Amino acid sequence: MERFIADLVTDLDSGKLDRRQFCETIMLAAAVYAAGEAGANAAPAQGLKAIGINHISYACPDYRKARDFYAGVFGMENAPTMDTGKEARLMFGPGPGAGGTFFLPRNGTTAAKAKAVVDHICYTIPNWDEAKVRAALAANGLTPTGRNGSLHVYDPFDYDIQIGNSVEENAFRR
Amino acid sequence: MEGFVAQKLDDYKTGKISRRRLIETLTLAATTAYAQDANAAASNPALKVALVNHVSYTCPNFQRAADWYSKIFNLDQVGATQNDVALPFGKKGDKPMGVAVNDVPVTTLIIRSRDSDAPARGETTPRRKSRALVNHIAYTIADFNKDRVRAELKRLGYPNPLQDGEHSFHIVDVNGYDVQISGIEMTALGG
Repeated sequence: MERFIADLVTDLDSGKLDRRQFCETIMLAAAVYAAGEAGANAAPAQGLKAIGINHISYACPDYRKARDFYAGVFGMENAPTMDTGKEARLMFGPGPGAGGTFFLPRNGTTAAKAKAVVDHICYTIPNWDEAKVRAALAANGLTPTGRNGSLHVYDPFDYDIQIGNSVEENAFRR
Repeated sequence: MEGFVAQKLDDYKTGKISRRRLIETLTLAATTAYAQDANAAASNPALKVALVNHVSYTCPNFQRAADWYSKIFNLDQVGATQNDVALPFGKKGDKPMGVAVNDVPVTTLIIRSRDSDAPARGETTPRRKSRALVNHIAYTIADFNKDRVRAELKRLGYPNPLQDGEHSFHIVDVNGYDVQISGIEMTALGG
């Protein structure tokens, strides 16, 4: 982006661009930069391409306990019209339809049928502040394990929850 | 933002700022102009989650499962060890869809084989036995089109996927785990 803008300034100084063209080009560049992710998220010519987690289906003995815990501790937003008395939908991240995810606690059997298990989910906390994160966990009665920038706690049904920042929990730093 | 650009241009033209300063300022503005979410996130509680960082999927043969997920969802495998491998939903440096803040990495599926009864790394006591179960994960795929997805699943060996609404299908993976394939139109509010 910096190289691009430097070239624009050169064009402006040499008269190749007028003031209006310069401003419009900067505006367009900003919009394209912001939308860059859209190109990265396009479907391939063949096959399917996963671009995110749509939702997590979580079965437990009492969905209300899970609902209140995840909403209260981790700031997930309960979609009130979708709370059926047997399940709820808790939104987080980008908005619905814009890449957002929802956590779906529901009353249901917890006996695993598959040979695989999702044994924990890790959530990214932006603007991670170690002291504030630990203090907030303590304020909710949670004692974390793990290391700075990557902590584990248990939810009301002893499901393992991990929270992390982008430095400690990043696939490209493994 | 346009007024801001015009103002900085005036400052440059009248000698108030240097050429270098103009370029730096406009570069910063252009790369953050649409990142309002960053400020919103900063004002939120310390524990407000922004995105799934990773899903930890444990199974008897991690490489077999990883190859399945790579094939179905076009995912690269990175950072393999003897026990696990990561399948990020994007390339290094990519921003997750819809996320403006800079310190949120793309979501990753980590597939591993390990003893669930063993203590976690750095711990001495075994993990607790959960009384809850994540019984399926729904993955958002790019450019969901019901007919195209059905055809792709057939090509991939799933001729009869279970349709769930207008924007998703269910299949099972190589370990019999329920996998939902969804369009972005499937949201917490319906779809």
